[in-house]
Amino acid sequence: MADATDMTTLTDEPGETGPRRSTGVVDTDADGAGRRWDDGLIARHAAGRKGAGAPGVTVGVAAIDGDDGTAPADAHQPIGGAYEGPLRVRLDALRELVGLSRTRIDGTTLAEAGRVLDEASTRQRLSSRHTVVAIAGATGSGKSTLFNALAEVPISETGLRRPTTSAPIACVWSEGAAGLLDRLAIPGRLRRRPLAGGDGDEELKGLVLIDLPDHDSAVVAHRDQVDRVLALVDAVIWVVDPEKYADAALHERYLRPLAGHAEITFVVLNQIDRLPGEAADQVLDDLRRLLDEDGMALGEHGEPGATVLPISALTGQGVGELRELVGRFVQERDAAARRLSADVDAAARRLRSVYVADGRTGLGERSREEFAERLAWAVGAVATGEAAEREWRRNAGRACGTPWLRLWRWYERTRTPGGAPQPAEVIVEDELTARQRVEQAVRTVSEEAAAGLPRPWAQAVREAAVRGAVGLPEALDELAVTAGPPSGRPARPAWWPAAVLAQASMTLLQIYGGLWLVGQIIGVLPPGIIPPVLVMLAGIVGGPLVEWACAAAARGPARRYGQDAERRLREAAAGCGRAKVLDPIAAELMRYREVREQYSTVSGLTR
Amino acid sequence: MVTLDVRPQLIDALSALRDRVAAVRLPLPLDGAPRARQTREELLAQLDDYLVPRLRDPEAPLLAVVGGSTGAGKSTLVNSLVGRRVSEAGVLRPTTRTPVLVCHPDDCHWFDGVRVLPQLTRVWLTQQEEDGGAGAWSGDDEHALRIDTAVALPRGLALLDAPDIDSLVVRNRVLAAELICAADVWVMVTTASRYADAVPWHLLRTAKEYDASLVTVLDRVPHQVIDEVSRQYAALLTKAGLGDVPRFTIPELPESAGGGSGLLPTTAVAPLLDWLTHRVRDPAARQQAVVRTAAGVIGSLNVRMPELAGAVAAQYAAAVRLTGAVEEAYAAERERVRGRVKAGAVLAGDARTRWRGHPRDSSARELLDSLVESLAALLQCAVAAADERVTEAWRREPASAAVLTPGPDREVSERIGMAVRRWRRVVEEMAEEEVRLLERNAAPDPETVAALLAAALLGGHRTRVAGERLAERIGAQGALRLRDKGGDLVATYIDDVLHFERDRRLAPLDALDVAPEPQAELIAALSVLQKEM
Repeated sequence: MADATDMTTLTDEPGETGPRRSTGVVDTDADGAGRRWDDGLIARHAAGRKGAGAPGVTVGVAAIDGDDGTAPADAHQPIGGAYEGPLRVRLDALRELVGLSRTRIDGTTLAEAGRVLDEASTRQRLSSRHTVVAIAGATGSGKSTLFNALAEVPISETGLRRPTTSAPIACVWSEGAAGLLDRLAIPGRLRRRPLAGGDGDEELKGLVLIDLPDHDSAVVAHRDQVDRVLALVDAVIWVVDPEKYADAALHERYLRPLAGHAEITFVVLNQIDRLPGEAADQVLDDLRRLLDEDGMALGEHGEPGATVLPISALTGQGVGELRELVGRFVQERDAAARRLSADVDAAARRLRSVYVADGRTGLGERSREEFAERLAWAVGAVATGEAAEREWRRNAGRACGTPWLRLWRWYERTRTPGGAPQPAEVIVEDELTARQRVEQAVRTVSEEAAAGLPRPWAQAVREAAVRGAVGLPEALDELAVTAGPPSGRPARPAWWPAAVLAQASMTLLQIYGGLWLVGQIIGVLPPGIIPPVLVMLAGIVGGPLVEWACAAAARGPARRYGQDAERRLREAAAGCGRAKVLDPIAAELMRYREVREQYSTVSGLTR
Repeated sequence: MVTLDVRPQLIDALSALRDRVAAVRLPLPLDGAPRARQTREELLAQLDDYLVPRLRDPEAPLLAVVGGSTGAGKSTLVNSLVGRRVSEAGVLRPTTRTPVLVCHPDDCHWFDGVRVLPQLTRVWLTQQEEDGGAGAWSGDDEHALRIDTAVALPRGLALLDAPDIDSLVVRNRVLAAELICAADVWVMVTTASRYADAVPWHLLRTAKEYDASLVTVLDRVPHQVIDEVSRQYAALLTKAGLGDVPRFTIPELPESAGGGSGLLPTTAVAPLLDWLTHRVRDPAARQQAVVRTAAGVIGSLNVRMPELAGAVAAQYAAAVRLTGAVEEAYAAERERVRGRVKAGAVLAGDARTRWRGHPRDSSARELLDSLVESLAALLQCAVAAADERVTEAWRREPASAAVLTPGPDREVSERIGMAVRRWRRVVEEMAEEEVRLLERNAAPDPETVAALLAAALLGGHRTRVAGERLAERIGAQGALRLRDKGGDLVATYIDDVLHFERDRRLAPLDALDVAPEPQAELIAALSVLQKEM
């Protein structure tokens, strides 16, 4: 018994021991159905009671569930060569998927997938020549009678006392199925052989038939047995009768959740001898309709799906046909693979919400640009650029301006209060970048990246962004100092000395003209008003002209200088943001894409 | 003890209790909420359909509701008791989708009004004595109750054929429970192959819990095993503490599956009919049957009302927790914003560069612009962070699923931008006012004053100089006055913005209107009722 060591053994009834595991598909859905079921006065009252009545069972199952959440990840083994083709690929992809998402998705969500992998590897190690078929149904539908009819020997006790069968009984048609029965935890005393010893019955060779207790009796332990075994068998024969074929308990708790397992499902309408005339056909049609409403595909017209058959185990009507069908089914020997395939389908369907979300995923170019833009705002790139440009122009103006204009401006400044030039402040600042803007930029970009992702992955993206943003403001502070404009005087263009020279010569001309005039007035120089006036005028007009020309000429270089300063800061900030925030986000998105691809493989969308 | 006299006070107390129960709202999806909602529905059903009408009209006919699993043969049983096909019986399940009530023609007036089951529309099928009359009616109204009359029934007895208690059609299940709630006598039908099923036993246990007048019918028992099955069933009933419940066994006949006339022979159902007739004819037996069920229901109120009140309290507690999470998040963000403003976080990045360049490299307007933008960014950031905290806290609360979470909408930033611009306008006006008061000929530029004031208010310790410059321009007194007023203004605007966003976040929760009062009212109504009894 391969798995027996890590399983908890619970004893519900004397004489019935064995490993009990979380029953996966059926179990989870039974809970779901239980909730749906829990909508009436009567059912609800009983539910409350049941919980109170059997606390031991509930606690035990919960403990195993918890165990299942962590164990399968380490426990499962690689799939060997038994399942070829698509199933093998899908199982591999599922294993990969579980491995990739273990840190992102909590264990309980992945437990189901882990269980499927476990069961796949366990079943694959056991005999592939055998097909395990369970007979399930409600109390009094005639499961045991059918079981005996198929085995052609009264193995299972039939009777009127309800419920009759309390533990699963097995009947094995050929040797070598011990491992399979160990897995189902059927004790040796409940393993039987058919009348002919099994080997003589070529038709059903390889069949392991299990007679289950009823699923709807007042004895809760029976239902647990049914749920446990149903999760492990290769195929199921549901026995219904004309009275109970529309029971909510059957359809809501079992057939609807197991609708995906249609290919390994037989539904037989037993006791048709109780129905008069055409009523049997009517009931059969109604049963087909109900199965269709449950979402179970019906295997009619050669399509894959559930087989529906009217029989009478008591009179033997239809039993031969069932034998034949089961025999053919067993000889195909792919029931186990089909069952696993359906299990993988179910697991994939259940995991869909954590792997697939509608909406485009990925971080667009626009989002990246906006992020860079926000960071640039945070470090003040635009303002820094403008300030650098203005400072450059001011310097140019100061260098090339006429001295008189400068004098007037100084006078103006002293007149207005507070306008006097202040000593340059020496401010020691620790936070140069705007924290709130960085925070907002990171939040926005992570929201945009997380849009269209399933919840766990969106959360992972957000976490990656937050982690990356931890040192971001400090790094930007540093950048603002290193990549900001140099504190010294900015470089000057080549024509600058010439302009300064021209402006100086204009001033000199004015002084020269003035001196000439003064010399004429005091009589040192010969009179002649025109030349000095012209010289002075040239100086007076030329000074502002040179200043104006310089200002015009300086506009271009100033803008370039400012833009350079802005770009430097902007690029540095964007680079920093990319390295710290965008790259981790992109890595997380990549991981999601990878997982998404694996999921498509698992769900069989791409082959 | 309840008797069958009309007691106005008791009816008043029950009506008051009913109104309280009807007023209960359980909008939050807590763990116990579905159960509590069910309890509320059932209480209403039992009060409306059974208890109040019964206490008002003690002489009204006895209503026996026939309930059981699908295929148990309820309709066949009712038809056989009446002696005519009033309810459709068949092999296809579920058969009875519309409940059928059968009474004596003289009792009709009790059921045509809204005395019992007021939510079901009456459909009349009387005086169609010809065979197949019942089957011809095929209208599948969602909320219909077919009423039929039959002289075969004794006066003062009405039979109701309910849908299956375990029907695949959920509505049928709910309706069945509702109808059973309205019964004076519960007739539980099960079969030889079903008597150990879980579902019928749920019904039996419920009946026991409410101490209702109960009869069980073991139907469709094959002749050869009738004794054994009957004995077995009796043993199970005794084990469940229901040994004293009257038991009737009906063998499986061809008619059970729709063969022949579809009616069981009179001999098969005679004991049951006799029992029912006895309940009606014998005043003592009738009294006992009615009083027992009524007392059971009233007694069960003692348990169910506190349960409902507890659920209401849990709802209120959850609402308080959700509100608390929002308030806490916004309060924390408010503190953070205030701290950040004090630390000069607004004067960072762009604003800081502008401030350093002022007045040489950047104008007052630019400085003011950048400060306002920076403040808006700080507030947006605070709101987003608060929302994030709320989302995180609410994720742990199952109740939050019912509350719409407004997504990160564009309007938030617009609203904040507007508030901050309004603040700027007020600051500018204050500055203009102050400058006008100066009456100096070399008055400073109001825009510069406004920019300096904003810098002084938002820059924290970084802009100590701003205050000095402000004082230079408009005098120390004016500067102090402006800064005091401006400081209050900043605090007010920050609070306004955050309070508005918090209220917006709380609006969907407030709309659910989860209050603590209903709990107390429920308990009060119950204690009034208990005093009456």
